[in-house]
Amino acid sequence: MVDKYRRRMRPLLGTYVEIGLSRAFQNCDRTIERAFERIETVQKHLSFHDPRSDLSRLNSARGEEIAVHPMSICALRLARVITWRSKGLFNFTVGAQLQKIGALPIHESGKKLMAGQADDLEIRGKKVRLRRPLVITLDGIAKGFAVDLAVKELKTHGASSSGWVNAGGDLRVFGDLTLPVFQRNASRPDGELPLLGGLRNSALATSETSGSNSYQFPGKIIAACGHSTEDGIWSVIAPSAWLADALTKVAGVSSQRDREFAVSRLGGHLIQGAEGEVK
Amino acid sequence: MDDRRLNGLWLLPVAAFTNSTFAADYLSASEAQKILLPTADRFELKSVELTGEQIDKIKELAGVRQRTKNPKIWQAYTKNEVIGWFFVDEVIGKHEFITFAAAISSEGKVLGIEVMSYRETHGGEVRKPEWREQFRGKKLDNPFKLDVDVSNISGATLSCRNLLDGVKRLLVLHKVLNLNGG
Repeated sequence: MVDKYRRRMRPLLGTYVEIGLSRAFQNCDRTIERAFERIETVQKHLSFHDPRSDLSRLNSARGEEIAVHPMSICALRLARVITWRSKGLFNFTVGAQLQKIGALPIHESGKKLMAGQADDLEIRGKKVRLRRPLVITLDGIAKGFAVDLAVKELKTHGASSSGWVNAGGDLRVFGDLTLPVFQRNASRPDGELPLLGGLRNSALATSETSGSNSYQFPGKIIAACGHSTEDGIWSVIAPSAWLADALTKVAGVSSQRDREFAVSRLGGHLIQGAEGEVK
Repeated sequence: MDDRRLNGLWLLPVAAFTNSTFAADYLSASEAQKILLPTADRFELKSVELTGEQIDKIKELAGVRQRTKNPKIWQAYTKNEVIGWFFVDEVIGKHEFITFAAAISSEGKVLGIEVMSYRETHGGEVRKPEWREQFRGKKLDNPFKLDVDVSNISGATLSCRNLLDGVKRLLVLHKVLNLNGG
């Protein structure tokens, strides 16, 4: 039965990306290949680490308008809309803060503002510019966005198929398949790996937040609204992977009282609290 | 909350998960050969035994140690013409080895890489007997076929550095063995 699905894995987006697709139709391998190519395109244009990417060029443009790939426009629009709709709980303009603490590389020179607002990004046709000296970071939503594009590719070329794309925990499942998902929590003293459930026709993302500045902690979530993060692991289910990922950040910076509502208001479903219990 | 979102998550009995789901074999060597060097019509396995001096040289140039003296290397041909080299190697992930394949042209350019086997346990915890023991005796009356289940550890973003170091090491190996030009 395991042969029902063709599985491939590649190192992309700074993590390992796994694609699974039912073998029930022809060109399964070629379709997976195309999906990987889509992910590579996202990596090429939206990588913060690559100084030649559209994202890095935008951050270095000193307010000048630059032409970018249509796919970059799409991702930037999504980042802008979720920044606006979440009232800054997800904020794509806090790149300079992340650079300051060493979480992201610095490619551009000049003094930068630590945070801005959604409308600091101006989009006109295929051109974009920053109205103020900010550093845009798409954070994990670029990874989720890549997962969504890859799934779209798989569905386009394998209409009746089922499968999944998993980019280091940004996971989306489609078709007639339910995938069991576990959540890793390295800090759990009992070493338990709690089962979140089975994922079907949805996306799931998980982010871990820490209130401390431990150098061992790999990622950092910063909100422009002044909320501080607390220790926790936030798993969110949503119709698309980019949204699920963005909402884990919303969950991470929301207060305990508002967290569940903040996520559901934006179209997601928080499925796990900080203690790791299945809700 | 609309129905679709709620239905997205089906809570399952823990028995849906088995230890074996932590290992995934993606490609065999011959499958990886076809993907990475699709125009090749023949692969010839080369018998290589590295000298201590060569191993030291690889460490010096690649910055990482060449673990085995006998790397797995194939020469790829199209109509008796050498079109490149195919390597199968291993790097350590977080805890377990990742087996990967790399194709390198005669000029020493990476033509592609593929992950062949991934055995990462996503933390040492799953290797603890008491953790595995909890699955014993559970019922399998769930809507899944066990062998369709795939372990997906959400939140486990892994560094690819070791794999990239591994590819660099193979390029150095290619150079040290003078594989250019076939």
